[in-house]
Amino acid sequence: MSEDRVPTCDEAERREIEAFVFREARLADTSQYGEWEALVTDDMQYWIPAGPATGDRAAALSYVNDNRARLATRIRQLQTGKRHAQTPASPMCRAVTNIECQPAGEVAGEYVVTATQIVYELAAQSSARLQVWPARVTYRLRRVEGRLRMAAKTVELVTATEPQPNLTFLL
Amino acid sequence: MTAYHQLVGADQVHGSLYQDPGVFAEEMRQIFSRGWVFVGHESEVAEPGQWVTRRIGRAPMILVRDRSGALNVLANRCSHRGTALCWEHRGSDSSFQCTYHAWNFALDGTLRAVPYPAGFEKDHAALGLDRAGQVESYRGFVFANLDGSAGSLADHLGIGGSDMIDRLCDLSPTGSIGLGPNWLGHAVGSNWKMWPESDNDGYHLNWVHASMVSSAPDTYYQETVLGGESGNQSRAVDWGDGHVELDFRPSYRRELAWLGTSRDKVPGYCAALESARGVPAAARLLWDGPPHGLIFPNLFLGELNIAIIEPIAADRMVHWHTAVQFEGVDESFNRRLLRQSEAAMGPAAFIVPDDAITAERMQLAMSATSIDDAEARRGWVDMSRGLGREERGPDGRRAALISDETTNRGFWRQYRTVMAR
Repeated sequence: MSEDRVPTCDEAERREIEAFVFREARLADTSQYGEWEALVTDDMQYWIPAGPATGDRAAALSYVNDNRARLATRIRQLQTGKRHAQTPASPMCRAVTNIECQPAGEVAGEYVVTATQIVYELAAQSSARLQVWPARVTYRLRRVEGRLRMAAKTVELVTATEPQPNLTFLL
Repeated sequence: MTAYHQLVGADQVHGSLYQDPGVFAEEMRQIFSRGWVFVGHESEVAEPGQWVTRRIGRAPMILVRDRSGALNVLANRCSHRGTALCWEHRGSDSSFQCTYHAWNFALDGTLRAVPYPAGFEKDHAALGLDRAGQVESYRGFVFANLDGSAGSLADHLGIGGSDMIDRLCDLSPTGSIGLGPNWLGHAVGSNWKMWPESDNDGYHLNWVHASMVSSAPDTYYQETVLGGESGNQSRAVDWGDGHVELDFRPSYRRELAWLGTSRDKVPGYCAALESARGVPAAARLLWDGPPHGLIFPNLFLGELNIAIIEPIAADRMVHWHTAVQFEGVDESFNRRLLRQSEAAMGPAAFIVPDDAITAERMQLAMSATSIDDAEARRGWVDMSRGLGREERGPDGRRAALISDETTNRGFWRQYRTVMAR
């Protein structure tokens, strides 16, 4: 299918999707773990591969390869207040740009959204260095009881193949 | 030369050793050039032509299998004008060709061809790639030393290093392990020596890993290291030669505790192990599990993870890790090991990032500690815990409670020996 024939979202859908993505970004930036977790579906997949997000994600080691249960553990750990790697939580702000969205096609009420995400993070727990995390992100959003929820977030870091500093906040 | 005998005591070490750039340079020579270091695993270069890039100390190297099947550890540096020959992490080639003037090297490092050869009077045989002086492997683990005068690998591994590798490989039904398909690098703003320490420190878990303990309370660490001194039977072991271990075996209360599972969940693996080793030996292996220890100076066997400690500078290092994969088991079993590795190690895992922050906080605190402070009784690091209750085995090994600093002292004793030689 040529690019100009890909099914598109209408303006109202697009506004709703952008508002969701910006909210997700704000909650991640401000480490509001419970509120962020409320955005995800029961089958959420959170993936930060160590290279391009191609092939079978189960076949390689990833930085993050969370099913819903492991994501719940991740958030529970952050909420203990004893996660030294995020104590204090990293001050962050992120730009989410170049947003493109389209209906998922095979499932009504689902959307595939791609964007560029650039996170600025202060490693306030130790070095106090500013770290930059540029990435392409792909969300799979699903309408659940009338509201958008996140069923998958894949973060392809520009630096994915190289060693990473602590990555214990929500990317 | 720095006065290492004065800066490393029986129960204390001086903080300057973690931050002084001159000390770092001497370590690269005394430990990483003169001694054996781990460079990779044979399964990473299973076929002729397959190569991976590694560092020995700071020296960029290539581990490659040549056409005859032999392993070579070559300088990743053209012998002509010094250009890097490989710049990706791994690959497969029939030869190495420099991109600058197209000098071409065989997989064993010999110079094969140069363009316009008439202008060169030197013998090609003298222009091969620099190479590690010694390369040997033990049960698939490949070690090298640059200088070529480090004695045999068997002597370096000693009783403890061989025993730990044996116990890991014996858990694989074929007796051989493989590695996960990729390594993850964790970049840490600390000296490299924080990692032989913290990877093998049985004292810190209740505090550094408190968040893991309370959010994932059903791990085997509960019975092996967290139980407190009175009830815990695990041992901190110094095997000698810098090889140290947190020996969890006495603490396990059931088979396969180290895998967080039981026989009925992994019947294929258990059957394969029984078939290969016999029922009684397999039962012992399933109870004891894999080792948790350091092979001096840079190889950490973390149960079913393998890590390389790579120094970058006095205040920077990379903790590389991958998962162990067993041969002769079904794919789902090995996938389970990948998922467990992701949970434990790496920059986003539940355990090691808290060690990384601790190491970086140590580095911050010691960043201004100079060698001159030692005489003024400033800047010392205490490592005395349990010194008076160590037991000596007939083979020279020292062992004490899991929470004793026997492992850390064992690393530093070897450090002092090789740095002062």
